[in-house]
Amino acid sequence: MQRLRRLLLGGSLAVTASFALDKPYPGPFIENEDFLFVLMPRTPEQMAAFYEARGFPPAAIERIRSTCFITVHIENRSRRVIWMEPRTWKFSSKGRPLQRLDSSFWEAQWDAAGLPQANRSTFGWTQLPAERDLQPHESVGGNIVFPGTTASFDLDAVFQTGQDRRGRQLEVRFENVACPPGESAE
Amino acid sequence: MKTSPVRQENPPNETRLTDSHHPADCACRPPLQLDSLDGEAYDLGESQGRWRFVHFWASWCGPCRKEMPSIDRVTRLLDDNVIEFVLVNTAETEDSVFTFLGIVAPDLVPLLDSDGLATEAWQPRGLPATYLVDPDGLIQYQALGGREWEKPAYLEFLRSLEK
Repeated sequence: MQRLRRLLLGGSLAVTASFALDKPYPGPFIENEDFLFVLMPRTPEQMAAFYEARGFPPAAIERIRSTCFITVHIENRSRRVIWMEPRTWKFSSKGRPLQRLDSSFWEAQWDAAGLPQANRSTFGWTQLPAERDLQPHESVGGNIVFPGTTASFDLDAVFQTGQDRRGRQLEVRFENVACPPGESAE
Repeated sequence: MKTSPVRQENPPNETRLTDSHHPADCACRPPLQLDSLDGEAYDLGESQGRWRFVHFWASWCGPCRKEMPSIDRVTRLLDDNVIEFVLVNTAETEDSVFTFLGIVAPDLVPLLDSDGLATEAWQPRGLPATYLVDPDGLIQYQALGGREWEKPAYLEFLRSLEK
C-alpha cells in the first residue's frame, strides 16, 4: 500500500508522499479524503512524440526534449473549494531552490523558434493552469517543466481551502521525484 | 476572476453545471466568428433566439475524446431548432479534426479555431469546456470537464432549457 506520513502542524494537515509499492497511478501520489494529487514524470521521448504528433517544428521539439516534464493531476475530493496556486509551491533539488520553467520562459523560447500561434496555444493548454479554485469534485491537469539538468526534486505545496480561503490549510510534500532520463542518457 | 451573477444548477445525481466564471465578470460572452470544417462562416452573434451549446475541445485531450461520442448522441436526441450545438476545435489542423471526427462522430461539423485565439478569449477552465448560452446571448451555465450528456439527468436539464 501507499506509504504516507501524516503530521498535524498548527491546525493544518501535512501529508508526505512517497513512491507506492503497488502503483495505482504512474508516479508518486497523495490520495486522501481531501484530494488526489499525482505527479507523472515523462521521458523526453514521450514529450517529443506528443508534440511532434501535433505538428510542432523540430526547433521546438529540441527545446522540449531538453527539459523535464512532469504531468500533474489534482482532483478535489472534498466538499469545499481548494485553491491550487502553483506559483506558491516550493521546489528544491539537492537542498537548493529549483525554479520551474514558466510561461515567460516558454514565450521567449517560442519567439526564438518562431513557433506558430496554433502550436503556442496547444502548448499552453497542456500546461498546468497558473491558478485554479478547484470546486468540489473538480479536477485539473497539466504539465510543469524543469531544466533538463534536474535529476530529481522535492515539492512543498500549501493549498488554501474554502471560498474565502479561510478554511483549513492542506500541506503536502513530495520527496525525490525523479526526472526520467532520455534514451540517449541511459 | 469573480463568479458571475448567473443561475446555478444544483446537481441532480452527478450532473454538475456551475455558474459561469468569465473574464468579463458578467454573463456576456466574447464573440465567436469562425469557419467550420466545411468552410462555412459562422457567427454566434447571428444565431440569437435559441439556446446554444458551445463546446471547446481538442483531439489530443483525453476527456475530450471520451466526451465527443456522448455529444454526438445527444445531438440526435434534442431538437436542434431549440438548442444549437456549436463545437469549437482548438488549434488543430483540418486533417487532425477530420481524421478524429470521421471515426468518432462523422456527422458533427465543428468550427475551426485554427490559431486558438477564439478559445483563449473565452477563457475556459480547461478542455473540454461547455458553455450554455441563452437565447439572448448570455452565458448561463458552464460544465466543468467532460460529461455523459445523454444520461437522463442531463437530457432532462437540456430539454428544460427549451421551454
